[in-house]
Amino acid sequence: MAVNPHSELAKMEQIITEFFAKSLHIILESRCPFVSSRNYSGERSYLHSSSSSMRPRDKWFNLALRDCPAALENIDFWRQSNLEPMVVDVVLVQRHNWDSARSSPKLALERNLSSNNRWRLDSDEFGCGDGEKVIERWIVRYESKKGCKEGSSGNKRANSSTSSHALYKKSILLLRSLYVTVRLLPAYKIFREINSSGQIRSFSLIHRVYTSVEPLVGRDESEMQQFVFTPVDTSSGKLCVSLFYLPSISDTTSESSTPMSPQFIPDYVGSPLADPLKRLPSLPMPQYSPSSSPFGRRHSWSYDTRMASPPSALPSPSPTYSESRTLHSKFGSQRPPISSRYPSLEPAQGHVKDIGYDEYLHSPNFSPSPSPSPSPPVGGNMLKVLLRSDSAPVYIPASRLGDGPLSSNKTVLPFSPPLKATRPSLSLVERSSSIPTTAGKLSLREEEIAKTSGVKISSNSSPHKSSSRSFSRLSFEDSYDDSDFSGHFVVDDDDMINPDSRPGSSDRSGNLGTPHERIKSQDAAVGALVQMLKKAPPLQQDLNRSQNVCKPSRPENPFNQIQDHPPHASLSMSSSRVSGIKTTSDALEELKVYMDVKQMLLRQSGKP
Amino acid sequence: MNCEVCQLKELDADYFEVREVLRCILHTIFFHRALGLVRPKDIDLELFEITYVQCGDAKLEKKVDEKIDQFIDRVEKHPNKKKQICVSFFEVKNKQATWFTHKVEHLYWEQWYINLNVAQHPKPHSGKSHHSKLVVDPGESASGRRATLESSLHEVLFQIIKFVNEKKDHIPPIPNMEGVSFPYEITISSSSDSAFGMDMFKRMLQTGHPTMLS
Repeated sequence: MAVNPHSELAKMEQIITEFFAKSLHIILESRCPFVSSRNYSGERSYLHSSSSSMRPRDKWFNLALRDCPAALENIDFWRQSNLEPMVVDVVLVQRHNWDSARSSPKLALERNLSSNNRWRLDSDEFGCGDGEKVIERWIVRYESKKGCKEGSSGNKRANSSTSSHALYKKSILLLRSLYVTVRLLPAYKIFREINSSGQIRSFSLIHRVYTSVEPLVGRDESEMQQFVFTPVDTSSGKLCVSLFYLPSISDTTSESSTPMSPQFIPDYVGSPLADPLKRLPSLPMPQYSPSSSPFGRRHSWSYDTRMASPPSALPSPSPTYSESRTLHSKFGSQRPPISSRYPSLEPAQGHVKDIGYDEYLHSPNFSPSPSPSPSPPVGGNMLKVLLRSDSAPVYIPASRLGDGPLSSNKTVLPFSPPLKATRPSLSLVERSSSIPTTAGKLSLREEEIAKTSGVKISSNSSPHKSSSRSFSRLSFEDSYDDSDFSGHFVVDDDDMINPDSRPGSSDRSGNLGTPHERIKSQDAAVGALVQMLKKAPPLQQDLNRSQNVCKPSRPENPFNQIQDHPPHASLSMSSSRVSGIKTTSDALEELKVYMDVKQMLLRQSGKP
Repeated sequence: MNCEVCQLKELDADYFEVREVLRCILHTIFFHRALGLVRPKDIDLELFEITYVQCGDAKLEKKVDEKIDQFIDRVEKHPNKKKQICVSFFEVKNKQATWFTHKVEHLYWEQWYINLNVAQHPKPHSGKSHHSKLVVDPGESASGRRATLESSLHEVLFQIIKFVNEKKDHIPPIPNMEGVSFPYEITISSSSDSAFGMDMFKRMLQTGHPTMLS
């Protein structure tokens, strides 16, 4: 059957014409933002879902496309054109003077017959003063071969029957590639961005379709890259699709909500870099001054850090410690991370301790006030500390015991402000007659007496008040500059303690023997305490022995000496008794006191 | 008819990126070979800023997902090995049975080789990364690798587009059917497979010079 060449030519022309329309449809479908979001749901929406109701134009090239009003308005024109080249410019418009009334772009058709006889579809009728930038230029044209339009009826018959088929098949492939390529270009992202949200943006996409290729303005052409689709050769010519595009247009849409790459924000709210209050001077040795501390308790973190930095000389935490100690050790374990997180906070340990100390001050069980009438809980605290020696190592500032001046020892008692006053162990009391039940009151007095008379005071009957005070003081002093310490204790202790004395010094440590001068380990302190208790005479003791003990200034064995001082619940005992000058009546009275105390202790121990 | 072979650029992907990468590449290939009536479906990748196109054939989607699952299983069983997926389009021709051929012959006219290096765990540095050395945490290098992979995936897609445009003459006539027009098969192989080369050899025999097939 002979193939009518004219029909073939007509078919080819029809294929080319439809190709122009289809390519314009593909381009504008993905470059022309819809006014209403209803038209674009993010997914393809087809008016005709089944092939039976497929529109004729959808069947062309076996590619059913989404409706595009902008494309549909121009398709008829291209169907009527004489295969003139089609140039589609995709223009990015930056609107500097945005007017809400112009939020809906209008399509305006202008036919400029004067110049190039071109159709100009301009959706930019209000772009006065707006920045425009051509980001894509699509050129679709059919280059006919001269002299080959009308093929001879000879040997080209066989080819013409397949030429339209081949042309059609290759056109299908080309349009497939065009469809995929359109979605891989940068302009597609802008299109999706405009369509995705209903926000009014300062930029938009418009398109212009020309029938002639006009040179690009300014440096647009130099910035553009070219991509040429392989032309589809036909017997009468070749179908070409080429593209000029800007490889990157992100700078023009900088205001867009493009998700940023993850960034590290150094000055986030709450960070030490953002909060000037959290910036601490990086001093290696802070000049501690609680009054000048700028932090106070404004921030919990600062409080926590202060809590987290106990004195370095503190013993390692023991599980049998009290709650406060547990609390303290818990924060202590957190010291490294906090320090690393806030490196400038490290020198502020002095402040930390001050706050921590203040916290202890407010502890109900802890009364650091060296008032003349020391509170029983203090004595109870001391007893608590002593009792703990059975189950846990306890640092005992032996240098403080029985001695007015706080001297020499680096040992500190642990931080344990909320010490629960417990009933003293009878066994301990029995071992040491010098352990007062209400030692607080006595201890102060005894300490005063000892200080004035130079009598060594054993650790047992030591001014428990001073001991209890001393441990807290020592806990600071071992880590702080003694001279800078200006807490309550210091003020109170100034009455009794030589302010020139420093921990570790033995200025007035004539009372301190060498074995007790420095107790650096908990075990040694416990051992010392145990020894002291062992050596402590019973409550009932020889009066003569007590008289001998009361001799002044024998620092060798202060514990042995101090044990001779009977515990007394009241301050009524005069200093003359302690001094050793006693009469017989005094001795008898003293014996009576001893008896009373003993019975009281027995009664207390007998209670459950 | 010659068999046109396209070796796609090798990609380095993490384990969790394999599915998306393969879906993108496979569907792009099939969209160019689904020359019957199609209703394109735009799919946005979650891990990358790429939109690829599916031809809308439900059967094809299912087949592709199955093959991807097989590929992932293969990766788990044989980690740290280069993997390859081959998409082959062929024609079915009934041949007279001879002593070395079957009755039904697959005449391969096009083969696509997708080459993947799958990392089991995120690597700190990839050879293709040009990221600056101001990396503070692993998140920075991961984003760099992701960007590199996205760029490579872009290149692969354009490689497909160029190949489709340049090679058109070898495609057989389009049958009148919807979806994927031509019979196809998807095979998975790894570089260490002994059958890897044998597969290639078999195909070479089957898709040899047309004069051989007579």
